[in-house]
Amino acid sequence: MRMDMKVIPADDEITHVVLDGRFDIQGAQAVDSRFDELAKSSKALVVDLAKVSFLASLGIRTLMLSAKTLIRRGGEMAVCGADENVEKVLRTTGFNEVAGIYPDYESAARTLRERLAAFSGKKP
Amino acid sequence: MSKPPSRTCTRDFPGTVEAASDAENWVAGQASALGLGQEAEFAINLCLEELFLNAVQHGHANRTSISVCAEADGVTVEFADDGEPFDPTLAPAKRINGPTDDFDIGGYGTGLMQKFSRSMSYRRFEGMNRLVLEF
Repeated sequence: MRMDMKVIPADDEITHVVLDGRFDIQGAQAVDSRFDELAKSSKALVVDLAKVSFLASLGIRTLMLSAKTLIRRGGEMAVCGADENVEKVLRTTGFNEVAGIYPDYESAARTLRERLAAFSGKKP
Repeated sequence: MSKPPSRTCTRDFPGTVEAASDAENWVAGQASALGLGQEAEFAINLCLEELFLNAVQHGHANRTSISVCAEADGVTVEFADDGEPFDPTLAPAKRINGPTDDFDIGGYGTGLMQKFSRSMSYRRFEGMNRLVLEF
């Protein structure tokens, strides 16, 4: 298995996705349909990339498609824990313009909760 | 003092998406023999995946060939394919600019290859696209 995907429903707002492996062609094919389901059903998605050693074309496509689906539904997406090379890929494509890049899950989740609360007019 | 000899590995791959994974595994296997660092290996594999997908899905290539040459001052990779003529050095580097929900989910490969390589040069020779990337 080149890519392992763990989904942790942290609370009613944030879904925490932990990836482990290579986000290459095979890796993207392994997780595509689950990302699609999550993007259509979650309020906010934090994708933990701390254990992702490689990210290329199709992996980016999977993340962008999820971000686009979530944003159009009024949701939010963020990634966290990316190493230097993976973050360079994300920033080169401009992915950081549509989904935040954070050092860890806690900071990503905190920001997304604040944004969701602001959007719905509630206090975080 | 004499220059250390360059080390070159070459292998042919079929023009299939699956072969991109085989090529990545092959590069990983050659990495220590060629003295590639982790950063160079990442950059090479990133570019190879993009080139394979372009050649197979858009160029309808049947065969490809990869040469990796490690020298003291860097690594040179030549990717050749028999697909339709395509010069990626002329393709615009795409990037999402500003927060939006109206963005493409693909087509970022050229920008990534430009960012992760030091240089790219293209020629069409004997019915093959030949892209040389320096890292």
